[in-house]
Amino acid sequence: MSSSIAFEHPWALALLPLALLPLLRRRRDTLAFPSLAWLPPDRVGQIIGWLWPVFAVLALASSILALAQPGRPQTQVQRTGKGAEILVLLDRSRSMDDRMLPANWREIDPANLLYHLAKGPQKAQVARELLSQFVSRRPDDRFSLMYFSNRPLGVVPFTQHDAVMQAGIAAGAIGRGLADTEVGRGLIAAIAQFDQRAYSGSRIMLLVSDGGAHLDAETMQRIRFGLARNRIALYWIYLRSYNSAKLDSTEPRWENAPEMALHRFFRTLQTPYRVYQAEDPGELSRAVADVERQQNLPLDFLEQIPRQDYSRVFLAVAAFSCAMLLLYRSMLLRSLP
Amino acid sequence: MSTSREFHYRLPRRSGGWRPGSHPGSSLGAGQEFVSHVSLYDRPDPRRLDLRASLREVRGDWLVRVNRQRVSVPVHVIADVSTSMSFGLPKSKLHIVADFVTALGHSAFRVGDALGMFAFDAHERPDLFVPALLSRGVGDVMASMLTNCTGAAGSGEGLEEAVLHLAGRPGLIFIASDFHWPLDRLDGVLDLLTHAYVVPLVIWDPAEMQPPKRDGLMPLRDLESGRRSTVWLRPGMRARWHEAVQRRRAELSAIFSARGIRPFYISGEFDNEALSHYFFEVTA
Repeated sequence: MSSSIAFEHPWALALLPLALLPLLRRRRDTLAFPSLAWLPPDRVGQIIGWLWPVFAVLALASSILALAQPGRPQTQVQRTGKGAEILVLLDRSRSMDDRMLPANWREIDPANLLYHLAKGPQKAQVARELLSQFVSRRPDDRFSLMYFSNRPLGVVPFTQHDAVMQAGIAAGAIGRGLADTEVGRGLIAAIAQFDQRAYSGSRIMLLVSDGGAHLDAETMQRIRFGLARNRIALYWIYLRSYNSAKLDSTEPRWENAPEMALHRFFRTLQTPYRVYQAEDPGELSRAVADVERQQNLPLDFLEQIPRQDYSRVFLAVAAFSCAMLLLYRSMLLRSLP
Repeated sequence: MSTSREFHYRLPRRSGGWRPGSHPGSSLGAGQEFVSHVSLYDRPDPRRLDLRASLREVRGDWLVRVNRQRVSVPVHVIADVSTSMSFGLPKSKLHIVADFVTALGHSAFRVGDALGMFAFDAHERPDLFVPALLSRGVGDVMASMLTNCTGAAGSGEGLEEAVLHLAGRPGLIFIASDFHWPLDRLDGVLDLLTHAYVVPLVIWDPAEMQPPKRDGLMPLRDLESGRRSTVWLRPGMRARWHEAVQRRRAELSAIFSARGIRPFYISGEFDNEALSHYFFEVTA
């Protein structure tokens, strides 16, 4: 990091000797008096008489320097940061209103499972709670929130204000779930959020959904290129329903499940992809904590510090000096009697 | 106009000299002032025979009246032509001196006194020397010389050099100056002039005696040294200004009054009436 000062218009510095003009003392500026020894000495007046050429020189010199536009040139600074840009893409479909399995569902008699299932917390609610904790724990990050169902619903654009984000998450509780799960359109809209944004840190898209979708080739292409272009890492928190596919299963009956199809597609991405399969609230919170840990990695990046212009300072000095000179002039007596 | 600017002056004490004039003199001759009776044999002037006194004379001598003659005295102006004398509005101090010299020329010619001039700034100015002349126009000549001259810084040494020419001679000497130089030499100068009657004309411009009415900053330049100084005129400064003028006046009057001399102050305009009054008061 250099602190050197460079001038935008160095030729203006050639005018700098003009600033010495006020030091040329002219008889015109003064009133002739027969004998100064006659007058009582005036300390204050002498200081003022000494100050005004200083102000005059200062006014000229700083105006010329302001013309030359001094400034610190544009530099690049190596910075290490922790912040990331996180876009939360939350499923708002009807199925998210379903309840989650209790943590000990494996020990429960399958005959009673449906009963316990009805008593569990809603998936969307658990997801919202965890997300709001996640957001409040990461004040350095910039968040964006987007719901999707049969169409994407942008809620909060990228912001660093957590309160807005929390309000957006809380707004997800209003009403009931919507009809469909159009993951493809949601992803494309979410990717579009990153367009036109300067790349300032790692970018994460956090897809929270309980189902997948079959994507057509064109949508897949767009998602693939979009993620690559904006360098977005995709984290999928898959809230598995009681009767839906496990992503790691190789059973042929799940071969055509939309979740599996989506997972298969995501695995072909060039960009980083990670999936968390959460079946109960504990697992969901583990998944969120994992994401949190993942993205706490320090991030080295070059920050461009734009050119800093100091001419305002010089203009301020010049204006102040001119004001002082005007004050001096207004106090000046033009003639003796 | 010039005749109206004349002033009346008489010396308060007797001066020597033989040239008839109008000042009280110490020599005997044709005059109104009776001194004594002298025997006709001692002073064979039968025109002034005093018959009444001769009859009363016990010894029977013929007595002649002896009167004292009024004399003329040489009048000299010692003019300060230093740069500070060129200050003054609307009339510079040097112009005031010229006015005075003009009036003095007429007044001196009227009473039959010879008028001469010396000038000085840092040193004596021989180019401005005028010998004592009995001439009607000498005052105007001297005035024009004064108004057309340029001077340097004034000093007591210049005055001393000019005064050396007049040392020990009787007469009337006007010292026209603003006395803006160190006064330590003034005492010695006055010692040289004990035989003459000295009238110091202290010429100050109102602008240097009175600060401007408006408060503000005055970037001032000394006319003689070129030194610069800024004065911030404010009520306290005003008071100190007046004090300084008073102090200078007191210094001058202390030096002059030690020799029984009363300075005549001129400010702004030469006032011939005031100068006449000055002489009336002195001679009364």
